[in-house]
Amino acid sequence: MFDFTGLWHGFQIAFSPVNLLWGLIGCALGTAVGVLPGLGPAATIALLLPISMKMGSPVTAIILMSGIFYGAMYGGSTTSILLKIPGEAASVVTCIDGYEMARNGRAGPALGIAAIGSFIAGTFGLVGLTMMAPPLAEAALKFGPAEYFSLTVLGLLLATYLTGESALKGLIMAILGLILGCIGLDPLSGAVRFDFGVADLQSNLDFVTLAMGLFGVGEILYSLEKSESASILTTKIGNVFPTLADLARSGWAMVRGSAIGFMVGILPGGGAVLSSLISYAVEKKASKHPEEFGHGAIEGVAGPESANNAAASSSFIPLLTLGIPGNASTAMIFAALLIHGITPGPFLLAEHADVFWGVVASMYIGNVMLLILNLPLVGMWVQLLRVPYAYLAPLIMVLTLVGVYSVNNSVFDIWVMLVMGVFGYTARKLKFDLGPLLLAFVLGPIMERSLRQALLMSNGKVDIFYTKPISAVLLGIAVAFVLYNLWSAQRRKREARAKSA
Amino acid sequence: MKSWQRYAGVFLLAVAGLVIQQSVWVLRLLDHGQPGSGFMPFGLGVILAVLALALIATNLGPEEEQVPFWKPKAWVHPLLAIAITAIYVVVFDDIGAITSVVVLVTGWLLLVEHKGVAVSVAMGLATGLVVYLLFDRFLHTPFPRGLLF
Repeated sequence: MFDFTGLWHGFQIAFSPVNLLWGLIGCALGTAVGVLPGLGPAATIALLLPISMKMGSPVTAIILMSGIFYGAMYGGSTTSILLKIPGEAASVVTCIDGYEMARNGRAGPALGIAAIGSFIAGTFGLVGLTMMAPPLAEAALKFGPAEYFSLTVLGLLLATYLTGESALKGLIMAILGLILGCIGLDPLSGAVRFDFGVADLQSNLDFVTLAMGLFGVGEILYSLEKSESASILTTKIGNVFPTLADLARSGWAMVRGSAIGFMVGILPGGGAVLSSLISYAVEKKASKHPEEFGHGAIEGVAGPESANNAAASSSFIPLLTLGIPGNASTAMIFAALLIHGITPGPFLLAEHADVFWGVVASMYIGNVMLLILNLPLVGMWVQLLRVPYAYLAPLIMVLTLVGVYSVNNSVFDIWVMLVMGVFGYTARKLKFDLGPLLLAFVLGPIMERSLRQALLMSNGKVDIFYTKPISAVLLGIAVAFVLYNLWSAQRRKREARAKSA
Repeated sequence: MKSWQRYAGVFLLAVAGLVIQQSVWVLRLLDHGQPGSGFMPFGLGVILAVLALALIATNLGPEEEQVPFWKPKAWVHPLLAIAITAIYVVVFDDIGAITSVVVLVTGWLLLVEHKGVAVSVAMGLATGLVVYLLFDRFLHTPFPRGLLF
């Protein structure tokens, strides 16, 4: 159940000086990115994809990117607590009670409990990942084209419904992502699709270009609309170590948050944001003093912060064992693995055990690094907030432009990135979530290949998708999920009509 | 915002139409009885058309509250940023990568962020130097040469 040999081998890889250094850089960058509003882990990983290609070792590259991803979960709470501005989407809920605690002169314990909860939950998530990943990878070896098609359909549907405000808009973005994935060479026949006579479109759109455009350029353009004039609380942070009473109140919140985050994080689309929301709701229900929520209840910080970190760890499970990324950040890591010639999925553990265990072990080490970075050194991150975004924005733009050129040495890619950036900006203005588009772009080729291979195997008969048991179950869950959401939406409409009547 | 959602729906309907047209006329829906290269795009185009119509349908009727797409003059900075970036790409091959970076950062700070000339030029040159050291020297990215180096 717990592969100690594999994990020990992983620690030997992760403890190498180079990997330790890049792990620390990843964690520090991730914390900085989490602290700074406007630049999320997905955009940062996208920016570093071109640089990661120059790293010799895929383990080192993934250690760096993983560090950024879960480091951002730690850092996001800092601005939530001090500024009531979530540094990262998953820290939105922490704004509610974290900022109130800071206003009541308890910024230090709020920051402290966020870091401690993140550490405990992150470790819990990692233990779960270590235990669940190997048997899941073995089970996934039984997956054929029909099963993979059904899995990608389910994954996309979940990611679409669980992220963003509108399922309709999420579905639209997912379909657009699938269409973008069709540009270029057909994976089976080699026919060129949707090139419109442009030679550069005959090879498929590059993931890095798309990601940097949507999440890098698009984010910058969106941020330029806002004039950030938030002022940091002048209150001293003081002692960041919570009291025994604080720990006693937060203990069960951290346990529940860890469990919720772990389970929700495994679902595609059900990552850190959803888990933190669910955790907050659960803590409010479970509390003996629910009236304190919204006015500085420490459980309102401990639970959600634990949940988002556990979700960050568990979201690696579908990525590494099934080859299905569940959110934009793991989609970037998926792309990074592909760039290094490694296909995530059930064969990863068998063929690249060093990559798998090296990354998992580095996450244990990273968790400890982040506790140190975020507890005693939190004052250092607060200083970052004083760097005006006016100077950061052009620097980030330069990094995206130069970075995307360095991938294929193509000016055409820069134009594509700019166009995608304008598209991403417009989509955000219209309240369309970009995550499903990127996920669909990654999953699209897998989905199409699986669909056509399955139909080839069955001589064109679609019953292959419901006669194979695993495929039938997955599709059944997808259909049930869609029907439940439709029924739920109808019920809400009826209730709203009844109320207004 | 409902009107903008309707415009988006029309745009998506046009995209769906283009995808369906390409799938049927240019690509093959079926290839010897098996799904061809146009099979999946055709399906996606049809689904997108349905979803676009649903988006339009759910945004019919008067606006519940008047929410402008842009607050007054909020479009100026993003538009300037896009223009400066487009100029960067146009001159990239002619004046060289590093010079383009200097021009982009200086222009951005001057025009978008309204910083002083001295600060903008200094930041531009500093950024150009960092990009040169990181990407050209360290990562050996083959940038087009130009004015500054």
